[in-house]
Amino acid sequence: MAVEINEPINVAAIFSRGIIRPVWFVWNGRQIRIREITFTWKTRAGGACIFHFSVTDGQGLYEICYNAESMGWKLSASKEHG
Amino acid sequence: MNDICVFSAGAQGIGIVKNIIHIDMNAFFASVEQRADQALRGKAIAVVGSEHRGVILSPSYEARAFGVKTGMMYWEARRACPDIILVSADSAKYSYTCERLIEIWKDFTPLVELFSIDEAFLDVTGCEALFGDPVRIAVQIKERIWLETGLTCSIGIGPNKLLAKLGSDMQKPDGLVLISPDDVTEVLEDLSVKELCGIGPNLTRHLAAMGIHTCGDLGRAPLQQLADRFGIIGERLRNMGLGMDDDPVESMKPVEEGEAKSIGHSMTLDEDCSDIAMIERHILQLSERVGRRLRRGLYSGRTVSLIFRYADFHTFSKQRRLRHAVSHGLDLYAAAQSILRETDLLQPVRLVGVSVSTLERNVVQIPLFVDERKRKSVAEAMDGINDRYGEFTITWGTLAERYRHARVISPAWRPSGDRQY
Repeated sequence: MAVEINEPINVAAIFSRGIIRPVWFVWNGRQIRIREITFTWKTRAGGACIFHFSVTDGQGLYEICYNAESMGWKLSASKEHG
Repeated sequence: MNDICVFSAGAQGIGIVKNIIHIDMNAFFASVEQRADQALRGKAIAVVGSEHRGVILSPSYEARAFGVKTGMMYWEARRACPDIILVSADSAKYSYTCERLIEIWKDFTPLVELFSIDEAFLDVTGCEALFGDPVRIAVQIKERIWLETGLTCSIGIGPNKLLAKLGSDMQKPDGLVLISPDDVTEVLEDLSVKELCGIGPNLTRHLAAMGIHTCGDLGRAPLQQLADRFGIIGERLRNMGLGMDDDPVESMKPVEEGEAKSIGHSMTLDEDCSDIAMIERHILQLSERVGRRLRRGLYSGRTVSLIFRYADFHTFSKQRRLRHAVSHGLDLYAAAQSILRETDLLQPVRLVGVSVSTLERNVVQIPLFVDERKRKSVAEAMDGINDRYGEFTITWGTLAERYRHARVISPAWRPSGDRQY
């Protein structure tokens, strides 16, 4: 079951030709390498455009999002695969 | 991708032969969740309104194999498939994916009619010079959808919407069926009338009582007999039996101007509720959302309706007609609250909704008194903040610990206009 986290995180990402590709992020002092971006979608929070990424490191599923206005990343939720 | 099923090519005298494509995204919500979470792929899952209660919105094909269907209650789904995994709906994911699908479809034709969030009609008549024949177009569309979203769809191609829709229903999942004009009679002859879009269980029963079971029977039925029984739809029914449908593919307008007859929101509560104070908080939240939509579309409305559904699914609504059209959430709430106070709730409430009708657009009453002006200013300031930072960034204190409700996408959702929110 997915657990809501909603914590700011540091993310290494490649911004290239209009596409954002997160590569790894740090959560709880642990670097999590993204093996696959499984799904992407976009929402708006007022005037801000939020890019959502469903990503996996092969062990867990994480939803991270990038706020294009504040230029900040957040870990929205995580789910460990059992 | 499955084999392409072709009911041979040819021409028949049905007038100008059009090439209509119907696209049905396979188990859309469930497929999106399976793409997003590898652990769900290949498993029996179902997307539900909330993990606590509600109905099945979209079962995966693996769950359908166990007999799980859209609209089932949780316990029914669990009885059919004890290992089913329930996933809460995430409407933002589905609406964004739908917008991406529309972009793909519009690369092939401007005539795209969104039938629902996971179905669309495309009129590709005249597009052959650019993209090839309709089957080639359909194959390209399937490939692009797969490449760009990882989802599959079933496509039906026919000379009209009725037959295109029938075609997409004939091969699921990931199907491609062409029904050409020459083969309409053969395809329809022994096909049950209930397979046609628009003929539901009630109509099927009435037709059966007249000895009409197949589309062949329907096409041969005397027009007078059908007209006597069904009135003005009698002729349309016979045409459906013959595979005829002149309903055009209507492309989406950028903004659906002037179309709204009512604007409303409802929510299924996490638990059946008899607590009036709690119900009032839900009504305030709904009134605020309805008010925001009214003001965003420059609407105001005179008739406020309050909708209730009891635990046993008995649903009813009560309404109040106001002297002046309103669009402020608090005005809607006051009207809804007065309806609630005059209502004897005989059972715990399962669902509550607020709706406004008798709408006016672009009609504004300039506030004459200080209090009204202050209230208008507050509403405008709140709208400005919520437009800038997101819905419910600023709201009434009563809603500070508001019920966090997983919004379920409305069947009326459209990618733009009044139905977007």
